[in-house]
Amino acid sequence: MKRSDYLILSFSITGIIFCILLSYIFINKESTFILAVFNLLFITLTFPLDGKLIYKTCLLLLGNIVGAFLNYFFLLFTFLGIYCLGEFFNIICAILNPFANLVWIVSFWSISLAFLANSKKEGKDKI
Amino acid sequence: MIAEILKALFILLTVLMIAYLGRHYIFTLTVLKNSQKRKKDANAENIVYQPFVSILIPARNEERVIGRILQRMTKLTYPKDKTQIIVINDGSTDNTGIIAEEYAKVQSHITVVHRNKEEAGNGKAAALNAGFKYAKGEIVFCFDADYYPQRNILEKLVKEFTDPKVGAVQGRVVVLNEPQNMVTRLVTLERIGGYRVDQKARDSLGLIPQFGGTVGGLRRSLLECLGGWDESILAEDTDLTFRVYLAGYRIRYVYDAECYEEAVESWRAYWRQRYRWAKGHMQCAFKYMFKILKSGNLTLKEKIDGSLLLNVYFMPIFVLFSWIIGIPLFLSHPPQWLSISWAFMPIFLYSFVGNFAPFFEVGIGAYLDGRNRALWLIPLLIFAFLYNIPICTKALLDLAVSKITRKKNNYWAKTYHSGNGNTYIIN
Repeated sequence: MKRSDYLILSFSITGIIFCILLSYIFINKESTFILAVFNLLFITLTFPLDGKLIYKTCLLLLGNIVGAFLNYFFLLFTFLGIYCLGEFFNIICAILNPFANLVWIVSFWSISLAFLANSKKEGKDKI
Repeated sequence: MIAEILKALFILLTVLMIAYLGRHYIFTLTVLKNSQKRKKDANAENIVYQPFVSILIPARNEERVIGRILQRMTKLTYPKDKTQIIVINDGSTDNTGIIAEEYAKVQSHITVVHRNKEEAGNGKAAALNAGFKYAKGEIVFCFDADYYPQRNILEKLVKEFTDPKVGAVQGRVVVLNEPQNMVTRLVTLERIGGYRVDQKARDSLGLIPQFGGTVGGLRRSLLECLGGWDESILAEDTDLTFRVYLAGYRIRYVYDAECYEEAVESWRAYWRQRYRWAKGHMQCAFKYMFKILKSGNLTLKEKIDGSLLLNVYFMPIFVLFSWIIGIPLFLSHPPQWLSISWAFMPIFLYSFVGNFAPFFEVGIGAYLDGRNRALWLIPLLIFAFLYNIPICTKALLDLAVSKITRKKNNYWAKTYHSGNGNTYIIN
């Protein structure tokens, strides 16, 4: 690996830790839990696949950013709903939250795998 | 008091789901690990073991596809003088019997067994038993009429029988008409999860690979001892899987023995097929659950995997049940543990997508298969999963009613095959 790759790698890992910490402090425990599950699945199942480590780490960072942002926006949406519609909206959002997380985890997972598969194919084509 | 019971039930369901999730996670890791190893058993290809084999092809109103499989059967590389092909024309009202007879006239190793209207139409197991009476082979294979095997599939499957402990083999099912529509594409993903990862991992880990009732074979001697196929069970393949294991034999899954199937093309056909599978699987669960736990012929890990396999069609119902219990529990001031398990709900939900493979398992299977375009469709498997909830619930309710009323209602809903798969075969 080049020195720049090491830099990107350390930046990505720092970013991932940062996302998890931010989700714990500013969002809620559920979002931290979801990010932890996402990271576990991604690291153990995607990292052994063919492809550059740098790509996979960047994808993982991107996933954490997407997850943290979506959970943060969902929280803001919940606050807005409670302000306009009352406490009942909080319950609705609490029930819907897992399904919102489902959508991004599975979609991001399939996009990441498609990206890795395409980059592998392109690599072969170049050879 | 009621709240406490509901909490206990919710915890129980959560534990069950985690067990299934863990199982599939281990399967995916196993296949990933194995995919990086080079094939060690390359010498197995050199084993020359060519017993006389019989191939049973049950067919009921399959005029659109029967010619395709018979044509393919004549092209198999396995010696013709060691092959007997038996087409069981199960009271067809179309030209299935005529087409099969035309092939039998030209190919001496093809035999057609005609069943009249009185005895026909009682399901695949009955048709297979009728054909089995004429089988002379040491190994008996089954292929559905809509299938299209690799030319050297028999060599690949037969070689596993050199191990005397092997009672049955199963090959891989690949969807032929994948590009046809969204249903066939989603079925393809389910098949990838099931055959590329699930079955392969179960075989590698020494668990219970399932005999799928097609693209597979059994020792004739074993089949005779077991009394053939059980006609009272809708999932005759699952039934046979457990009878093979209870008899002390093993099933091997041969991943590279591929056979192409024509997948169902509409949601209605999907319902009919999955309803039959679900009801049949549940029948097997009631029949074998305690037998496998008590059996001395199964190892502990086989018992655990067998129990999970037997109960897999109950899981969509349990997921539904966990939502029904979970929401009121969550609304009534949830304790911390409940909000965490609620957060786990999406993962649980996707654990039971479609053919009961979680999204990560399907994804890794599609990646390893090089199915890059199929990867984009994984999020849509949610529809197949949601569809499976009423299917499995209805199957369980119908089974419960038939148990209570003691009326056997095992109507075999035949899957219609349009023959559209022919378009995707390059001759």
